[in-house]
Amino acid sequence: MTDAAASQPAASVAATAVDDDERLAYRSIFQRLFIRPEVGAIIGAIGVWTFFWAVSGTFGTAGASFGWIDIVASSLGIMAVAVAALMIGGEFDLSSGAMTGAMAMLTIFIVKETGDLGGLGLPMAVSLPLGLAVALGIGWLNGTMVERTGQPSFIITLATFFAIKGLKLGLANRFVGQIQVASTEEASDYDFWRPIFAGVWERNTHQFEARDFFYTSLPLLGFTLIVLAIAELWFTRRETPNPAGLIQFLIGMAVGVAGVGAMHLTDGTGGNALSGAIIAVGVIVALHGYCTWRFEPTTNRGSVQIDTSMRNRILGGFALLIAGAVVAFSIDSSSETEIIFPFTTQGVRAILYVMLAVAGLALLAVASQKALSINPATKFVATTASALGVVVVAVTIFLDSEAAKFRSSLFTILLTIALLIFSWALVVSRFDERRYVDRDADRAGYRLLLTGFLSVLVGIAFRLLFITEAELLAGVPPTKTSVRVLWFVAFTSVMVWVLARTKFGGWVFAVGGNKEAARQVGVPAARTKTQLFMIVSAAAWLVGVLLAFRINSIQANTGDGEEFEFIIAAVVGGCLLTGGYGSAMGAAIGAMIMAMPLIGISAARWNTDWRFLFLGVILLVAVVSNRYIRLKAEALRR
Amino acid sequence: MSTAPLLELEDISKYYGNIIALTDVTTSVNAGEVTCVLGDNGAGKSTFIKILSGVHEPTDGTVRMNGEEVTFGHPRESLDAGIATVYQDLAMVPLMSVWRNFWMGAEPTKGRWPIQWIDTKKAKAIAKDELFKMGIDIRDTEQPVGTLSGGERQSVAIARAAYFGAKVLILDEPTSALGVKQSGVVLKYIKAARDRGLGVIFITHNPHHAYPVGDRFMILNRGRSMGNFAKEELTRDELVRMMAGGAELDQLTHEIENG
Repeated sequence: MTDAAASQPAASVAATAVDDDERLAYRSIFQRLFIRPEVGAIIGAIGVWTFFWAVSGTFGTAGASFGWIDIVASSLGIMAVAVAALMIGGEFDLSSGAMTGAMAMLTIFIVKETGDLGGLGLPMAVSLPLGLAVALGIGWLNGTMVERTGQPSFIITLATFFAIKGLKLGLANRFVGQIQVASTEEASDYDFWRPIFAGVWERNTHQFEARDFFYTSLPLLGFTLIVLAIAELWFTRRETPNPAGLIQFLIGMAVGVAGVGAMHLTDGTGGNALSGAIIAVGVIVALHGYCTWRFEPTTNRGSVQIDTSMRNRILGGFALLIAGAVVAFSIDSSSETEIIFPFTTQGVRAILYVMLAVAGLALLAVASQKALSINPATKFVATTASALGVVVVAVTIFLDSEAAKFRSSLFTILLTIALLIFSWALVVSRFDERRYVDRDADRAGYRLLLTGFLSVLVGIAFRLLFITEAELLAGVPPTKTSVRVLWFVAFTSVMVWVLARTKFGGWVFAVGGNKEAARQVGVPAARTKTQLFMIVSAAAWLVGVLLAFRINSIQANTGDGEEFEFIIAAVVGGCLLTGGYGSAMGAAIGAMIMAMPLIGISAARWNTDWRFLFLGVILLVAVVSNRYIRLKAEALRR
Repeated sequence: MSTAPLLELEDISKYYGNIIALTDVTTSVNAGEVTCVLGDNGAGKSTFIKILSGVHEPTDGTVRMNGEEVTFGHPRESLDAGIATVYQDLAMVPLMSVWRNFWMGAEPTKGRWPIQWIDTKKAKAIAKDELFKMGIDIRDTEQPVGTLSGGERQSVAIARAAYFGAKVLILDEPTSALGVKQSGVVLKYIKAARDRGLGVIFITHNPHHAYPVGDRFMILNRGRSMGNFAKEELTRDELVRMMAGGAELDQLTHEIENG
């Protein structure tokens, strides 16, 4: 022990210990949000979603969304969350994939009618708890073997994987005479359990005319709350609120709502442009009013100072955007996409344009970032330039793209972003940034943020779950979703809560982060890890049961090999392979990302074999960017 | 001093088979005092710690707490008796927050089984308060321990041990991996722990770190005690000479033998 101490390089410790007397600098809201493991996953999800939305005809429609969410909910999502918890605890379970199939087979086998070739003929009420007990037993065995032998879980669970695989094939052949087992319907209480594990929701039979009202208003309310939440987290609160600001806020909101209503009622470019302008005025007035009402105004805004480098950045940014527009206009466009898309004329055009546009916007963003350190007035000018840059992009796309969804949706989204950047520039230059911890403001901010997100999700859910008469008349193909989504949401929520709030959750992070340390202070490390293995196998049981109800005939090799997809989903969701860091929510989002190519590729009418290429690329990008985000976050924390 | 010392060791020896790790070591620590155990590599410091923390039982000799003879057969027994050891690796999880590390393994909970959750508000408040008592003012207990400086990490470990009922605190080379300034910070925390009435056993090989905080010094060399002194019996120079002398002598012998 003493020898190790003497040879331990003092430099590495000293390097982390530079500013011992300094109080830690206040972390801004973005720095605080970015150290969360799920943030990278959310950004990735938006990126992959946008990609498939752009290249395919049907991705993003209710049918494709249901197909996508069902892949997540029926196996990948639940398993990814459980596997993520295990990975945070520092272990792997390679038997998890085979377990899902095994549990499905077991569930069916117990309820199968007795006959010449196997089956126990018992009701589901027996089959379900029995299956769970077997699953927990296997999990306990995995955990205990890993702890007792001290061998890596990678090897131990590889052994269990082969054992389960062999058992599945051997027993299926022995008792059923073939390598598939069918079916759950033979259970005497099948009708009771079917709605619980396989209830479906037919979209086309649920008509709801007020749907679009909720679909429009809830997301808008959500985005409003998100913006206000960021303001709460960003600015310094006033001692006493200024009522004049509240009035201004309400007027702005009223104008904005009127604008949205006007846009809804009018058609044609002129009406849309006018109502768009009304909305813009409303948003700016409302945000400014809200800030006046609650936050401390900046005393010294300073005067605009644009030095050479900043001028060059701004002008360069616009030059790149205009060059992009020239490229886009000069090359002929067509809207056919295929997987070798990057090598077609149109692909080259799209890639060139995207690169030029991104470079231009990045230059403008850098200028705006640099302006932050000069003074608020300069920051306002530079950020307004960024907003204008986004407008240039939006207009280019509107004028040049042939695809209707780019001309309408993307155009609107970009203009909205530009509006938000501009109004944000306005308030950032006029109100004081908070540079200290304010627990009340933070709590209010996070609650607003959460409510905002939920509101957006509920609004989207309205769109997905209900159909309007107009859509029915237009002949929207029938689509359905199932109760599996609720199982996924419930399981994820429970795991998020357990990991974040309970003693056990804390111990998971502890044993994954530094097992010896955890043991020294009295954390039951072996028990915690064994319980984690049992959680994974219980999740495999749940997935197996959902599977048994979904497809009546289970192949003996069902699930084999999927364990790596679970691990990839967890990693994409921000979990560290070495343990001690990650989140259940991130893993759920990771699973959603992983499922996107599956649906996206078929929506784009490409060969589905390309999927693996996407999985590989996504994993690689996720690992690299997660590492970058984490290093950045660590650096900022110091 | 009328009452018996908080912890007293008399003629402690430890043999591992035919290897003599420690012979006839005697020292003591009082509540509110710091006893420094000095020794170079291989002097028997690790064995000394392992005996007190219950990892090994001594082959010979007696350990007394408050005058009563005790034996520690297991680390748990030593902990229960109020002896807490802060190891070099500090038993911390770098990616976890300060308050979680402070409470690790003994988190306060709310609610009834099976639905129990950590009382985060209370946990954070106590962690902050206890650290403040050690003289370290953490602005945000949410920050990961990995971002603290080495000295601050030591103080979290010390504060944790003190809060969970330690009477005797054993610090295993807390300054060995630190720079000069950081070491000073740790010495300050040792004093803070002492002022809170803990008996501190400070294991180190650096007499310059030991002398300013120590009330009693025990020098180990090759498993033997080279003396057990109160501060008044010893000057800083004498202490330095005793530590350096041992090492020099070893080297000299080595050189002579190899000609």
